[in-house]
Amino acid sequence: MAQPASEPSNAFDEAFLKKIEYLYIVSRKIAAGKHQAKRKTRLVGSGIDFADHRQYTPGDDVRNLDWRVYRRTEKLFLKLYEEEEDLHIYFLVDTSRSMHIGAPNKWNMARQLAAALGYIGLCNLDRVSIVPFSSAVDDRMAPTRGKAQIFKVFDFLDRCEAGDQTTLKDAFKTFVSENKRPGLAVIISDFYDPEGFDEGLDVLRYHRFEPMVIQLFDQREFEISVQGDVELVDCETGEVRQMTVTPAMMKEYKRVFREFCDELQTYCTRRQILYFRAAIQQPFEELVLKIFRAGGFLK
Amino acid sequence: MQLTGLPIETVAWVAALAAVVITALYVLKLRKRTVEIPFSPLWNRVLTSKRHRSDWWRRLKRLLSWLLHIVIAALLALAMLGPHLDDEVLDERHILILLDNSASMGATDVTGGHDRFEVGRDKARQVLETVGGDDRVMVALFNNRVQPLGPFVDDPSLIDAALREQQVSANPTELEQALDFAADSLRDRQPAELVVITDGAGLDPDTSLDIDFGPETTVRHLEVGESSENLAITAFNARRYPSNRLDHELYVEVRSFFDRPVDATLEITANGRLIDTQSLELEARGLHRQFYPGMATAGEELQARVRLDTADARDVFPLDDRAYAVIPPPTRLQVQLVSTGNLFIEGPLILNSHIEFERVDPDDFDPNAEFDVFIFDRVAPEVPPSGHLLYFDPPEEASPFEIIGRDEEPILTDVRQSHPLMRWIDLVDLNIGQTSTFAMTNEDTAVASAFGRPMIVARDGDERRKVAVGFDVRNSDFPLRVSFPVFVLNILDFFAQDDVDLMYSFATGQTWSIPVDSGVESAQMITPEGETRRAVIHSGAAHYYGEVPGIYRLDTDGESTAVAANLANPEESDITPQSLDFETAEVSREIDDLLFDRRQLWVALLLAALALLLIEWLTYNRRWTV
Repeated sequence: MAQPASEPSNAFDEAFLKKIEYLYIVSRKIAAGKHQAKRKTRLVGSGIDFADHRQYTPGDDVRNLDWRVYRRTEKLFLKLYEEEEDLHIYFLVDTSRSMHIGAPNKWNMARQLAAALGYIGLCNLDRVSIVPFSSAVDDRMAPTRGKAQIFKVFDFLDRCEAGDQTTLKDAFKTFVSENKRPGLAVIISDFYDPEGFDEGLDVLRYHRFEPMVIQLFDQREFEISVQGDVELVDCETGEVRQMTVTPAMMKEYKRVFREFCDELQTYCTRRQILYFRAAIQQPFEELVLKIFRAGGFLK
Repeated sequence: MQLTGLPIETVAWVAALAAVVITALYVLKLRKRTVEIPFSPLWNRVLTSKRHRSDWWRRLKRLLSWLLHIVIAALLALAMLGPHLDDEVLDERHILILLDNSASMGATDVTGGHDRFEVGRDKARQVLETVGGDDRVMVALFNNRVQPLGPFVDDPSLIDAALREQQVSANPTELEQALDFAADSLRDRQPAELVVITDGAGLDPDTSLDIDFGPETTVRHLEVGESSENLAITAFNARRYPSNRLDHELYVEVRSFFDRPVDATLEITANGRLIDTQSLELEARGLHRQFYPGMATAGEELQARVRLDTADARDVFPLDDRAYAVIPPPTRLQVQLVSTGNLFIEGPLILNSHIEFERVDPDDFDPNAEFDVFIFDRVAPEVPPSGHLLYFDPPEEASPFEIIGRDEEPILTDVRQSHPLMRWIDLVDLNIGQTSTFAMTNEDTAVASAFGRPMIVARDGDERRKVAVGFDVRNSDFPLRVSFPVFVLNILDFFAQDDVDLMYSFATGQTWSIPVDSGVESAQMITPEGETRRAVIHSGAAHYYGEVPGIYRLDTDGESTAVAANLANPEESDITPQSLDFETAEVSREIDDLLFDRRQLWVALLLAALALLLIEWLTYNRRWTV
């Protein structure tokens, strides 16, 4: 049950373009001294930069044996080189209904983030792909490269429609089955999945994708103002719950909300997954710069 | 517990209905506000963490809330029943409040008000505030007369407004009259409460009143006043000397009601000029009398003022510290003597400067002549002129007094000494050669008679007076006596109504009668405060009820007469508070005992319900009970 995006299509106007151009310049300063226009993958192979040694096993190319080490140790070691290739960056953007609650909403922030980071990727000659998802992968923008393709990204994000319920596991399973080439998977979502976020992220990890988690939340969801006898309706599942919200419950809700965010952060930290959390009331440039400074996205 | 409100069956139905409605409202599910949330599992976690420890408490709170509302409904139902304590009297009672506003209530020896009356009035209002809804109440003020502020009413607020406007008067107290009024008002209205608010000043402490207020009447005396310390002018009079109508004598009486000796200063002023001052040393409850011979001239307004000099004493009753007197200018009588010549009669007339005298021969007498007094010496005109008439030995044929005989050498046996003609006169051993005796009419008074045969007769007519002396004064030794000129002047004063005893000085709280000229139809009295009031003319006098001490002015057709009014009442100036005692009834004097208030428990119940409602509202909004 697709719904049109709640924000107007002029979100990617000329001012936005100038803003992300500025962010790109800043990103270059932050990444100074690194290889430009290229990213180093973790693959080792036919590159020219030495990366590491490993013990020779039968079948290895004998041309890469390090005879100097053999002379000292009388053991066969193979020289490994970093293999340079263009990186795939997948922006997995949550389009579920929870992203569209309120005005402004999380969806608007999510697509602006995707556009900004996508632009940096395109400028770095990476292959950028946009994958909106909710309970499944709703659509897909095929990997593309080159700075000029940014308008294609804008157009695709503009055309994205609201999905239904968030199911990370199912959506990511579909994603990994459709995208065999591993790469950086930037997940922009509120992670409001009733079944949990860990299984979905595990699917990406197990398929050698490098997840990067950006959790968006609305400050109004945290600082709720509702009190008294209310009927709470889940915007995704339609579940109805009648309750009386007291100050004590509001306090408890805040604690639970923080606990939920901390769980996601702990999960990511333990698995060396880049994790960012941002309120949509925060300017998106701030968040982008925070991502740049944290490293991981710019290499 | 006594119930005076709605019938218990009605209240029970209402209470049951309220309980059912409240319970139904609690059973019904509340229509709640719908709020869309992005992720309900977070709320599920909240509820899960809360539920295990608060389920029973939540249910209990809901039960408590329901119970609270049931209690509120029960309180309201109970309030509708109009509950009263068992010891309260709920029968309809007639309550009469007698409030003293006599002069002594103006004493300032009280706390909580300016004077005794103000304190007493506040007490009366307190009683009114506590009167029960079924009671009938009446308030009457009394001094030397009783003034009810209205009939018995069931709404005390109707009386309260009138009561607040009342003020203390300068009138003496007649307590028995007020109590008789109370007895007449309450005797047939049982059960009853009589509340007498008075200082009891002037009452004899040994007097026990015997008044029947009815078998079920409770008498209460709320005493006001604390002190007896008063210095008063209890008399201040001026009188004219009979021998010299231009000379006057003042009399002042100062009383101390202190229980110790005090010093004071007495000042006399005439038309604002200080004419005498002297220091007085008064013993405890002492009396000082003072005469002032020849102190003032005619036409002056006199004022006496006594001032306390003892430093540590306070005169708490200022009303009687001043007294007033006036000396009106004497009238000049125009007198015509119709005689062939009689120096005995002419003498007193010539010598008195207040008499304009003229003598004519009987042949020249003009009946149309205008004089105040005509004196006929051994003659009598056929047609009497207008004016007062004095006849000496009138001839039988024209005498206005019927002559019934002539006595030779009569012996005076009956002399009416109280008559104005006989003032300061003694006719003992008066020798008379021959006299006529008169027949009496209803208007005549026999001033002097010989064995019942009147020889000096005074006739008091509507407009003019007549006096007949039956003998020729030259045929007696009367002119040789010093009393003869006084007798002539007494007759002229009788005609002119010019009382030489006291000038116009009246006591407050009485109806004053001030003689006015014949033909006067209206008169205005200008009070000491400058207000103009109407005085009633009746029987040749202006009548006015005066209540304030001071100098008044009576205006009649352009003529103005000064009138002095004083409290001049030693009993009223003795402001020592006294307690009331009755032979037939016990008197309660405790203010605490004065509780007509039917404790309106319904108000307390209503407030309790309101308080519970507020607590419920507060706890609900603070989310303590939800």
